[in-house]
Amino acid sequence: MSDLMLGSGAEAMAPPGREAWRMFFRNKAAVAGLFLLLGVILMTFLGPYVYDEDPKDIVARPLKGPGTEDVPGLGTDYLGRDVLAGVVNGGLTSLRVAAIAAALIVMIGVTIGAVSGFYGGVIDNALMRFTEVFQVLPALLFAMVVVALFGPSPWKVSIAIGLVLWPQLARLTRAEFLRLKNMEFVKAAQAIGSSDLRIIMRVILPNALPPLIVATTLVMGGAILLEAGLAFLGLGDANEVSWGLMIGQNRTNFITSWWTVTFPGLAIFVTVLSFSLIGDGLQDAFNPKLRGR
Amino acid sequence: MAPEIETEASSPILEVRNLTVTFGSFTAVDGISFSLDEGQTLAVVGESGSGKSVTALSIMRLVELGTRGRIESGEILYRGANGEVTDLVQESEDAMRQVRGNQISMIFQEPLTSLNPVYTVGDQVAEAVMLHQRLGRREAKGRALEMMRQVRIPDPEQRMGQYPHEMSGGMRQRVMIAMALSCDPRVLIADEPTTALDVTIQAQILGLMRDLQRTRSAAVMIITHDMGVVAEVADQVVVMNQGQVVEAGSVFDIFEDPKEPYTRALLAAVPRLGSMAGRSDPAPFDLVAP
Amino acid sequence: MKRFAIRILWSIGLVLAVIFLNFSLIHLAPGDPATVIAGESGAGDPAVIDQIRADYGLDRSFVAQLASYVVRVAQGDLGDSFFFNQSVVSLIWARLWPTILLVATALIFAIVVGVLVGIFTARRPESRLSHSATILALAGYSMPVFWTGLMLVILFASVFKVLPISGMRDVQFDGGLLASWVDIGKHLILPAFTLGFLFLAQYSRLARASMLEVLQSDFVRTARSKGLSERVVVYKHALRNAVIPVVTVAGLQFGTMLSGAILVETVFNWPGLGRLAFDAVLRRDAPVLLGVLLVSTLLVIVVNLLTDVVYRIIDPRIRVGGAAA
Repeated sequence: MSDLMLGSGAEAMAPPGREAWRMFFRNKAAVAGLFLLLGVILMTFLGPYVYDEDPKDIVARPLKGPGTEDVPGLGTDYLGRDVLAGVVNGGLTSLRVAAIAAALIVMIGVTIGAVSGFYGGVIDNALMRFTEVFQVLPALLFAMVVVALFGPSPWKVSIAIGLVLWPQLARLTRAEFLRLKNMEFVKAAQAIGSSDLRIIMRVILPNALPPLIVATTLVMGGAILLEAGLAFLGLGDANEVSWGLMIGQNRTNFITSWWTVTFPGLAIFVTVLSFSLIGDGLQDAFNPKLRGR
Repeated sequence: MAPEIETEASSPILEVRNLTVTFGSFTAVDGISFSLDEGQTLAVVGESGSGKSVTALSIMRLVELGTRGRIESGEILYRGANGEVTDLVQESEDAMRQVRGNQISMIFQEPLTSLNPVYTVGDQVAEAVMLHQRLGRREAKGRALEMMRQVRIPDPEQRMGQYPHEMSGGMRQRVMIAMALSCDPRVLIADEPTTALDVTIQAQILGLMRDLQRTRSAAVMIITHDMGVVAEVADQVVVMNQGQVVEAGSVFDIFEDPKEPYTRALLAAVPRLGSMAGRSDPAPFDLVAP
Repeated sequence: MKRFAIRILWSIGLVLAVIFLNFSLIHLAPGDPATVIAGESGAGDPAVIDQIRADYGLDRSFVAQLASYVVRVAQGDLGDSFFFNQSVVSLIWARLWPTILLVATALIFAIVVGVLVGIFTARRPESRLSHSATILALAGYSMPVFWTGLMLVILFASVFKVLPISGMRDVQFDGGLLASWVDIGKHLILPAFTLGFLFLAQYSRLARASMLEVLQSDFVRTARSKGLSERVVVYKHALRNAVIPVVTVAGLQFGTMLSGAILVETVFNWPGLGRLAFDAVLRRDAPVLLGVLLVSTLLVIVVNLLTDVVYRIIDPRIRVGGAAA
């Protein structure tokens, strides 16, 4: 365990105590978000077993709406595939890509932000300039370029998304480190001779967690939207079903066959919404001052 | 409306009767009464949380805007220029807006945050004049310039076009005073006007306020926790503690013959010259006046 | 002023960095750089490949290539598109102003309406309208922008047939200049609304939080104590202060808006840079894609500088670097 008392100094966002969790669970919207996310995860992982259809199978005539005879629950797409099966199975790709991207974003962003904020000076300057280069690149466009040049495998898409969204997390981490590094408990750690790495990882980082957790939640939502956008434009993995891909593929007839795009889009919306609600709830819980009564 | 109060030389221009102000379930001011006479300076003293600022904000009926404060009961009787007395608690918001900045003005404790950072000082001083005296922009600016001179701001023409962050604390407080006095109010409420300032500036500001009051024969209600300030400027004193009036009287009575233990404790908390005489080390002094 | 000049210098450095990035991407991509540049259309023809090799000096050293690439770009030569059979620059130039029109309209819409909604919800936090607005706002930035667009198209194509849902102009248009502007305007409504809606949500939340904070400030209390009406207090004193974070965020998010524009232009067939990028991606047309990337990034950098200027105009504290005496 920690060899220090993390007592004095840390105001604003302290490490999440029980009070914060209680506040989170009292927030109706946040809890709703949690349930929504749970629902999405259940559907993604258990759904394919419950609703056993293969989304790539052609099951009926194309472009038949829900409720038509001989047509499964939510209708068929332009090839005659089952829309409901697509919705149920499509989450896996999106969530997987987003999760890997988020992991990348956190790893790169937090590392760069922490080093930048902790050491300051020339290192900070150089790293921030480097960050700025990635910040001015329009996210989707850059991801498009990367995927267009390097190929659309799911790994490459994750990496592309990761490369594009890490600056925000880096800035946030840096801001937190700048705020925390002058506090007494950090000086105490330095006084007893802890190494820089130890201080960064075990002293400052745990205190910087709350805003980082909030940001990561929101970044997950952003990654999902980006992945959906890329799939919509035809830059995702064409072999796997994903919600964005479904919408993109059915673009030609969507006005008359609204169900082919409405339901996949609804799925994306609900997933991202859940992350937004949870992130908002976490932010309110960790930092009650911001709630503006 | 209440009948006219007798017009003597020192008749009350403002009279608070049984005022109670609450914030939700918390009672900040609990049935207090005091009065402010024309041309006099009344000091409302107490520690933080005693309810003195809430009282001031209630007189201006500002306590209900933007907070959960509510005036539960009581009267705040104000005698206008024509001698008519009105109860400010009952007045409509429209009527109160005629009073604020015009007949009763207020200055606050933190001059930096009390001025709008995005507008020039001149604009802000002229604003009240344009509103209440219906002057055009140029005349209002002229009046603002005049006010800035009266509060002894050096080089006022140049200062008019400056922004609050370009001025020192003392200068900003002078601007606040200029702003408050620009429409010739009959009552000035000052909420800890010098607390945020250096001691030397404090003396200047208090001196300025005293001079201005004399020339205008306005009544001043000054809120403070500093007995030194009270001794310097007050004619009458009201001592508050936890939302209630503990003692009231002339400044001489309070300082020479304080009757309540709380008043005595307040007075004793002011360090006295010579109390450490004869000792080689500092020592705590008695909290009861000798 | 000096600080601003330094910012401009940094910005130029940034542009160079992006050019370097472009260059690296061409060379890092799998396959022969010449094939990458040729794209799908040109790659089959050996003569084209040789031409590219000669033009770009692909046999020379890395540094030499980089140098000549930078010089080309500086001279305004972004290469040629083999699919469109035009220089990249001319392609981009034709599509530039529709995108700017779209994004500018969306931005103005998002900021103005966002701030108004923010003010309203801040002043009356308990009203039902406020609660609905907050929920709508949250929903707004969780919706994929292309889905919102598609939903709106369905709505306006089948149910309310009052607005055009595709393109920038009426194909059979045959009127004068003014009527032409009106026609473009009508076509602009849906795409601009779709794009703006995404950010509207965010700005209204930001404006609300900012306004709530500003309404608690001391100077608002002072303004009220002067007897100013609540409307003057809110719109003159509070607003200018509350708007600052919204402007800052809006400026910083221009890049995201361009990204959104790609999707919106694709959905609504709006003939801008986004649509061009989409077409280029389908054909693996690297010069066009990289050209669009460079130009877009340039736009973002310019907007960042502009935001700085606007910020300085709104907030005098930032201007002369005035520290309190």
